[in-house]
Amino acid sequence: MMRRFFAPLLALGLVLAGNAQAQDTLSPLHFQSDGPLGGIDKAAAQRGFLVYQTVCAACHAASALHYRDLEALGLTSDQAAGVAAGVKLADGSAATLDSPFKAPAMPASAFGGAVPPDLSSIAAQRPGGAQYIYALLTGYTTAPDGVTMLPGHFYNKAFPGGQVAMPPVLRDNAVTYADGTPATQSQEAADVAEFLTWAADPNLGTRHQIGLRAVIFFTLLSIVAIAARRGGGG
Amino acid sequence: MAETAATEASGPGTESRRGFLTIFTGAAATVAAGSIVWPLLDALNPDAPSEAQARMIVNVADIPENTAKTVQWDGLPIYIRKLTAQQIAAAQAVVTGTLPDPADFAARVNPAYPDYVVVVGLNTGITCALEGNSPADPRGDYDGWLCPCDGSQYDVLGRVRSGPATRNLVIPRFTFINAAQIRLG
Amino acid sequence: MIKELKPLSSLAALLGLLTASGLVLAVYYNPWHAFASLGFIEREVNEGWLVQAYHATGTTLLFGLAYLFLFRAMLARGYRAPDDLAWALGVKLLAVLLLAGWLGFVLTGGAAAYWALVRAANGALALSGAAGAIGMWFFGGPAGEGTLARLALFHAVLGVAALAVLAAAYRRLKPKMSPGVCLDHLARFAVLALIFSVLAFFFPHLGQPAVNALPGDPLTLPLGTALPWYLLPLAGIADALPGAWGGIIGVVGAVAVLAALPWLDGSGPEAVRSRWYGVLTWVWGLDVIALGITATARDCPQASLLLALFALWYFFHFLVLVPLVTAMEAK
Repeated sequence: MMRRFFAPLLALGLVLAGNAQAQDTLSPLHFQSDGPLGGIDKAAAQRGFLVYQTVCAACHAASALHYRDLEALGLTSDQAAGVAAGVKLADGSAATLDSPFKAPAMPASAFGGAVPPDLSSIAAQRPGGAQYIYALLTGYTTAPDGVTMLPGHFYNKAFPGGQVAMPPVLRDNAVTYADGTPATQSQEAADVAEFLTWAADPNLGTRHQIGLRAVIFFTLLSIVAIAARRGGGG
Repeated sequence: MAETAATEASGPGTESRRGFLTIFTGAAATVAAGSIVWPLLDALNPDAPSEAQARMIVNVADIPENTAKTVQWDGLPIYIRKLTAQQIAAAQAVVTGTLPDPADFAARVNPAYPDYVVVVGLNTGITCALEGNSPADPRGDYDGWLCPCDGSQYDVLGRVRSGPATRNLVIPRFTFINAAQIRLG
Repeated sequence: MIKELKPLSSLAALLGLLTASGLVLAVYYNPWHAFASLGFIEREVNEGWLVQAYHATGTTLLFGLAYLFLFRAMLARGYRAPDDLAWALGVKLLAVLLLAGWLGFVLTGGAAAYWALVRAANGALALSGAAGAIGMWFFGGPAGEGTLARLALFHAVLGVAALAVLAAAYRRLKPKMSPGVCLDHLARFAVLALIFSVLAFFFPHLGQPAVNALPGDPLTLPLGTALPWYLLPLAGIADALPGAWGGIIGVVGAVAVLAALPWLDGSGPEAVRSRWYGVLTWVWGLDVIALGITATARDCPQASLLLALFALWYFFHFLVLVPLVTAMEAK
């Protein structure tokens, strides 16, 4: 009876997990980290880290992350140490992903009025998470008629208020992916969104995996315990 | 479920079935309790930075000859010194039997990487940080380290040569990963 | 006897989980860098994210059960003799949990938590006389460095107080253990653990204001600062009354009328069922939910009117309707 009950549940879990691995992110846009059973797409997050490192890190810090944390994305400890060795400020893989403007601290005026936020938890701190990051990075357009732009600002249809101090930085082939994925602007935006989703919640995949097991186990235990109570001790 | 249990309650296998269910439930509950408590205990194990600090990797390729690098590890100043060829030859020529705390060359350095000396940079008499990491520092008569507090003198391998101190410098636990990196701990 | 123990054992299990996870969190929590230290626990401590989820989801379930049991006792008029002492302990436990829950939320150091603390501390410090002195003692001056250190201590003391209230309840009820009761509890815990797993692993931030993911910043008041769900009805009542005194009277009064319920019920010992009382209690339950929902939408223009209305109904229910209906029915 229990097997009959659980088989579909397990099958559902496997189907969802299997589906998540073999899909294209961009058409239509979705992230493997979405949904109750989602996990981080490590290949996409690694590509996203490359984008972060090449483009975003010129202004943004992610100071809650260490270079050694990249091992969770599938890098070996030597590779993580190699990444850290390539960064001027970092002293070893225990270093955090600091901002190049940490010392001396730059005033907001140096960035057109807005200090670049730390990106460690940005996916958790902005409503919409990965979807918002993707929309922001691909949302630059020319300002509609009648909008007076602030000096040093750019029109972005995803940004609340429409005027953002961050210039449009992603363009096609801003990076070269080692795995041969074409580095289109939207691919870069999607990858960096997946990377930042991981950065904001590094335990997301583990949490969902353990959660699925715990739910199945406690469902089983509940049924058995209720059965034991009805049939036995009463 | 209730109906099944009720109809079976009059059958012959009721007692064993009830016993099995109770034991099974008890065992499963024990597993559950264990898995609930485990994270709380595991959380008190060393956290990631402590773990990384406990097995710290130090880059030694950037140390110039005749100079030592200082790193803090386990709360101790660790001196990593790169020897010159002459210093190695001179240190090997010392007759160990005459030393206050006899130790030969092979006991003080890794034979595969004889040009790196790794010691805890604290005097073994009065606890005091030693001088002599930079060629410009006072190094005493034996070209090694000098204690600014009690005047004890050590040679390039960290063996005590004179002064109130009677024991050689402590060598921390470490391994060479490759010619450029060592791991402490 | 077993009927009374059912809620108690679940509450005890959850309180035990909160105490254990709270002790572990206290090892790593740093009140001077509260937000950063919680990030550290989530990212760097072994299973730290899970210990945090234990504490957060445990709180959600504890309040869920406490509210549910109190409401059920109200519906069944379980506050009258011979259960009046159990009811009094229940209300006491709720009062302790509410204060501990508020402190625990403030300790997170997020944006919503920071502004909740500033509002409360500024309100308390603006009072004159003894109340102001107590506020000064409690918060140690305006919210700033070191405030959270003392609040962390108060939070822990209240946790111990909650355990003490629960122990008192156990002493009064003197449970008898038998295999049947054991299995009964086990089945209960298993279902509780199932609900817990769903919430902790798939909805770890359920009922928390989303802006609490931002660090508290004295120079930025983000939109949508609110309290966690279990404090919202009380926050609604506090907001409905003007000024710091209004807030204090509202919060204390809202709990006090619950404690006074045995005396507000005017019916004799023989009257057990009353249709009108049941309907009114359900309406009151909906009123509490409405208070909570309205409290999250404080920025809406109609919110203050609605809050006043709902808060008025809350007290009207206890002070006028309950005595009236129960007295009518007793005749």
